[in-house]
Amino acid sequence: MSSTTYIVPFIKAVASVFKDMLGIVVTRGEPVDEGEGFESQGFAVIVGFTGGWRGRFFLDMPPATAIKVAGILTGEEYDSATHEEVLLCGAEIGNVVCGNAITAVNDAYPGLGIRLTPPSVFVGEGFSMFNVRLSSYSVMMQTDAGPLKINVAVEEGKR
Amino acid sequence: MDVKYINPFIQGLLDVVSMLGMTSMTRTGLAKKAYLQTENEVNIIIGLTGEVKGNIVFSMPEATAKNIASAMMAGVPVEKLDLIPKSALCELANMIAGNSASKLEGLGLRFNVTPPTLITGKNLLALISQVETLVINFTGDQGPLEMNVALEM
Repeated sequence: MSSTTYIVPFIKAVASVFKDMLGIVVTRGEPVDEGEGFESQGFAVIVGFTGGWRGRFFLDMPPATAIKVAGILTGEEYDSATHEEVLLCGAEIGNVVCGNAITAVNDAYPGLGIRLTPPSVFVGEGFSMFNVRLSSYSVMMQTDAGPLKINVAVEEGKR
Repeated sequence: MDVKYINPFIQGLLDVVSMLGMTSMTRTGLAKKAYLQTENEVNIIIGLTGEVKGNIVFSMPEATAKNIASAMMAGVPVEKLDLIPKSALCELANMIAGNSASKLEGLGLRFNVTPPTLITGKNLLALISQVETLVINFTGDQGPLEMNVALEM
């Protein structure tokens, strides 16, 4: 299975979840091999997975985009991405995207049995993520609410 | 969360650091937070799935991270947190998770761990999981270190 294969189910899931849950249309870019780590745009939702695939999914965006996304979900306006509801909305979107992606993968490859961790959200300035021994691919997508980067880092040597 | 499930994580950390020669490490505190807000620049997240589900974040200042990485590499001084010290720190998180997992198996709980991810940055706010976070403080010759445990079980 080539490394870019891991990211495809997540690209599909982001596009459909953003459209169905948020009414946001996503245009996709090309996958890029980022090696062992990448710098966040300021707001990162992180979901881990175990089983047939072991690794981590990142949904990364500038804080302004996170605020807009949360605003669409709750109908409220927020002045900071550190507001608890913005964090929770980010976590929920990450959860739903991963749930969709992994359900599709588990259905397509019975026996893989991939399971998800609960989502985490990190907010800050100038933070970066490093994954040891995982190969990592990013796709930068554009939306009306701002740019979205998704990154999938999976342990090599697994199916 | 029952305290009997927390002790394996505390003991897992102490056993592993002691095995690596960091024998001065002790637990200094325990508190609950709705989310992790940290001034610590180095954070390593490991996820758990299975009968125990959640995330653990090891959080420490950069100075502690360098000292721990150095201790793991036979005392070779670490000037900068580049690839090799970062890999060592991730390996530490992996070892602690593995050690804690085998202790929890003794209590009849099985779970799988994700690979670790190391997050470096200043003034991070993190929602580790959607349940509250238990913050366990440790300190030793290498400096202070926190283990933040957010588990659904």
